[in-house]
Amino acid sequence: MIKLIIRKELKEVIGSPKFIASFVVSSILILLTFYIGAQNHHRNVSRYEAVMTANLRKMEGLTDWMRVNNHRIFLPPQPLEALVNGVSNDIGRTVQMHGQGELTARSSRFNDDPVFAVFRFLDLDFVFQIVLSLFAILFAYDAINGEKERGTLRLTFASDVPRATYILGKWLGSFLAVGIPLLIPILLGGICLPIFGVVLSGVEWIRLGLIVLAGLLYFGVFLSLALLFSVSTHRPSNAFLGLLVSWILLVMIIPRTAVLLAGRAVDVPSIDDHNFQKAQFRSQLWDEDREKMRNFSTGDATDSQGVMGKFNEFMSELSRDRQEKMDELAARLNGERRLKQNSQQAVAFAMARISPSAVFSLAASRLSDTSLDQKAHFLDEAAGYQKTYAEFKKEKTGMNMGSGMVMMFFSGDEEEKKPIDVNELPKFDYHPTQLGDAVSSALFDMGLLVIFNLLFFAGTFVKFMRYDVR
Amino acid sequence: MEHNSFPNTDIQPILEAENLSMRYEDGNLALDHVNFKVGPGEIFVLLGANGAGKTTTINLFLNFIEPTDGQALIDGIPTHKDPLAAKRKVAYVSENVMLYPHFTAIQNADYFARIGGQNHYTENDYRDVLRRVGLEDEAHHRKLKTFSKGMRQKCGIAIAILKNAPAILLDEPTSGLDPKAGHEFINLLHSLRDEGKAILMSTHDIFRAKTIADEVGIMNKGILVMKRTREELANENLEKLYIDYMTGNGTLGGGEDHD
Repeated sequence: MIKLIIRKELKEVIGSPKFIASFVVSSILILLTFYIGAQNHHRNVSRYEAVMTANLRKMEGLTDWMRVNNHRIFLPPQPLEALVNGVSNDIGRTVQMHGQGELTARSSRFNDDPVFAVFRFLDLDFVFQIVLSLFAILFAYDAINGEKERGTLRLTFASDVPRATYILGKWLGSFLAVGIPLLIPILLGGICLPIFGVVLSGVEWIRLGLIVLAGLLYFGVFLSLALLFSVSTHRPSNAFLGLLVSWILLVMIIPRTAVLLAGRAVDVPSIDDHNFQKAQFRSQLWDEDREKMRNFSTGDATDSQGVMGKFNEFMSELSRDRQEKMDELAARLNGERRLKQNSQQAVAFAMARISPSAVFSLAASRLSDTSLDQKAHFLDEAAGYQKTYAEFKKEKTGMNMGSGMVMMFFSGDEEEKKPIDVNELPKFDYHPTQLGDAVSSALFDMGLLVIFNLLFFAGTFVKFMRYDVR
Repeated sequence: MEHNSFPNTDIQPILEAENLSMRYEDGNLALDHVNFKVGPGEIFVLLGANGAGKTTTINLFLNFIEPTDGQALIDGIPTHKDPLAAKRKVAYVSENVMLYPHFTAIQNADYFARIGGQNHYTENDYRDVLRRVGLEDEAHHRKLKTFSKGMRQKCGIAIAILKNAPAILLDEPTSGLDPKAGHEFINLLHSLRDEGKAILMSTHDIFRAKTIADEVGIMNKGILVMKRTREELANENLEKLYIDYMTGNGTLGGGEDHD
């Protein structure tokens, strides 16, 4: 019986003009998403290579590693970022290397090209969140009350059809009829990616597959919600209106309001505040150090090399002390800020998770490695690199990084120095989060999508058991 | 076609209303202790104005609503106690057959036949039944959205025939049919009766009721105020009886009146 109902649903949906129109629109959008994503990825790779080259070119011709003080590392573009943008365009993708101290990510793509921030790019997140959820509503808002209006529900239940079987068949049939055909353009887009010049690794294919799975779960949520409205209202037009209002609330209002309310509920000190405190403290430390410098004594050293050595040692010590104190303050301030940020984020996400749209977005961005964690992960990776870089500089210059002041002595009669070999610089290898970590962090949200499906379907089921089919 | 069988009390009825009553939540008494029996090869027509309780009676037989008193039985099975078993034995044609507009006549027939438990039909079987109800061959593969009301009604009757149930319920099936289609419909109903089907039909068309029925029941405000067999009606004016009962001037005649 259930197979029969599913088959009927498939035939009915696929044979309807609205399916053909929706299929064409969504296919175009999905294929366009893959095409635009591939184009953006190419552009991002070109830019990344250009800034990498420019970074090294700035060092070319320098004869001393001591003079290298503007080395930067860059977050390399990942192919999945182009398909699920997440925050990848909003976070800073460049970190200036000092060899020690705090790291800040600057220069986001949208900061460089603000025009793209106005309407954002087309990505799978948008297609699923906005377009497919609307299609789910479009196909299921009259699934039950429409059949009642047509009289087919009476005719069906004039036969020995169990209600539970019917409603389950209806859900499965609608899901398969609308959801599965949408996989065709997604598969086609996936196949086209290598043709567009984007090669995904095995892990990235798994991630993409899981994103699509999350998208189907999300689609199922709106399908269940539409069925719930369809059994709760007598007229399809009322169901459609109710669903439209719910869609606006769930997709547009709740996620944004959650962030707004979290911002009010948990006050996170601004970066400017912190920078001001740090600057004040730094200035105070400098004043103290200047006092110490006044009392600097060369001791028993008389030759210039000896004086320079003593001075460098003295300055290094001062710098180390100063840096330790600065690091301590920065760690405290950053720790406090991160705690506040985390609690603000937790409040925002907890409230936003009332909305399946926010839940899907969080799951998709975690799976594509474009969530808020991407920035923290990049900075962690940069911090790891900074140690390697500091060791490299120390090896090349014999000095600790960031001593603030270096005394260099040139006698004028030494032989001309050779330029440094920039290829000796340690390479920054960015490692995206492990698949296991991404999946485990997305699992909660995917579980929530399953719960939303079950909740809405349970509501539909209970209502339909008592539904007046006349 | 003249039918010679009349309600026979010795035969086990297929459709039976036993003190069937229905009071809605708002207190409105829609059906008040209605009793009748329809045996195999019999057509029982419920005649009455809108709101008389005809459709409520049919809804109770289909268990779309549950009786507040009494019971509706199909082949001896109380519909509110075992609705699925009871529904296996009944086919139904509604007043306004809509079906699935994007399906062809054959696709609709196939779906509802299978829903009714008949999985063995071939396309030829569907075509035969569609021809039998008067649907031309060219219409068999046309989508229902292109059908006229009469054609849809024929399709609905074909679906009822395909279910091959011992009982058929028809709720105002002739409303909106043109005279030719109406005539064909009467012939079809008689042939179904000759096959042994127990048929319960509601209508407010007095002329058709008289032509079709083996027994006529007049309903007014939820009460079955009169029952007459075809034989009893042969010497009576059904139209006059109907008006009399509707206006409250009904008198005892040769048949059975509500007490």
